[in-house]
Amino acid sequence: MTARAWLLAVTAFMLSAQPAFTHPAPLGIGGFPGGLVHPLFVPAHAMAVLALGLLIGQQAMWTRLAALSFMLGLAAGLGVMTLGIVPTRMNELVLGGALIAGLLATLARPVPETLGCVLAVLLGFCIGLDSPPEAISLAEANLMLIGTGLGTAALLILAIATASRLKAGWARIGARILGSWIAASAILVLVLRFAR
Amino acid sequence: MLPCLLAAAPALAHTGDVVGGFVGGLAHPVVGPDHVAAMVAVGLWGAFLGPPAIFLLPVVFPLIMAFGGALGILGVPLPGTEIGIAISAVLLGLAVVFAVRPPTWMAAVLVGVFAIFHGHAHGAELPAGADALAYSAGFVVATGLLHLAGIALGLLARWPAGRLAVRGAGGLIALAGVIFLARLA
Repeated sequence: MTARAWLLAVTAFMLSAQPAFTHPAPLGIGGFPGGLVHPLFVPAHAMAVLALGLLIGQQAMWTRLAALSFMLGLAAGLGVMTLGIVPTRMNELVLGGALIAGLLATLARPVPETLGCVLAVLLGFCIGLDSPPEAISLAEANLMLIGTGLGTAALLILAIATASRLKAGWARIGARILGSWIAASAILVLVLRFAR
Repeated sequence: MLPCLLAAAPALAHTGDVVGGFVGGLAHPVVGPDHVAAMVAVGLWGAFLGPPAIFLLPVVFPLIMAFGGALGILGVPLPGTEIGIAISAVLLGLAVVFAVRPPTWMAAVLVGVFAIFHGHAHGAELPAGADALAYSAGFVVATGLLHLAGIALGLLARWPAGRLAVRGAGGLIALAGVIFLARLA
C-alpha cells in the first residue's frame, strides 16, 4: 500500500470515529429528555431506586426525611461529578445499596428512620456520581444532569407513592417478593463483578 | 479496507443492550424443563400449604438461589447439581401429590436446599458483561413468575375438582423429575 493510500485510510478512519460514551444515549435521546429517562436505562439505578421506594413506602412511621435525604445525596453526587470527580466502583456501591434496601423491603419490618436516611443519602450520592452525562457540549451535559436528577427523584416519588398505597395483603406480599428479586439480582451481579 | 474502516462502530464502555440482556435472562429458566417443573412445583406446594408458606417460599427461593448462583460464579464445586435439580422436581411433585404439610420452616429449608442447586446451575452460566444485571434480573423475574404460575394453579385446590387437578399436576412434575433422573443415569 502506498503512503497516499495509507493517509487516505487513516483519514477516513479518523473521520468515522465516534465518541465513546459510558452508556449509549437511551434510544438516541439526548439533552434534558435523555437525562430524564436515564435512570430507566441503567438497571442498577432503576433497581436501587425501586427498592428504596418500596422500603420507604412500607415504613408507615417514617416522615418524608428519607426521600429528602435521597434527593440531597443525589444533588450532591451530581454536583461533585461536575467537578470532574468520577470515582470507580460507583455502580457496585449502587448495587450494594439496592441489595440492602431490597433485603429490608423483603423483611418488611420496622426500620429506624435514621438508618433509612443514611441509606438514602448514600444511595443518592452514589447514583449521582454514577450518572456521567452522555453529551459532548457543556450546555447539553448540564441539561442532561438536571434531567437525570429530576428523573431519578420522580422515579423514587412514584415508587414511594405506589408502595405506600399497597393496603391489600396480596399487594404487600407482592412488594416483598419484588424486594427479594432485586436483592437476589444484586447479589448475583456483585459476585460476578468481583469474581471475574 | 476503507469501507471496513468507515463501517467501524463506536467503542462503547457498555453494550447498553439492557432489553436484550433482560429478555435473554427471562428466557433462560424457561428453556430448561427441569427448572420449570421444580419452579412450578414450589408455587403449587406453597399454594397447597397456604399462608404463610404461600408467600414465604417464593421469597426464600430467589434469595437462596442467588447464594447458590454466587457459588456457581465463584467456581465452588457442588457435586450432583443436575441430580439435585431432578430430585427437587421429584420430591416437590410428590409433596403436592400427597399433600405433605410439614412445619413452614421445614418447607422453607427444603425449598432453600433445592434453590442452591438451581442457583448454582444458573450462576455458572451467567454471562460476564455489562448487561449481566439485566440478564440476572430477567432470570430472577422468570423464576418468580414460574412460582406465581404454580401458585395461581395451586389456588384451584380450594375446590374438590381443582384439588384433584393440582395433585395431578404434582404427579406429572414428579414423573418428569424421574425422567430427568433416568436421563442422567
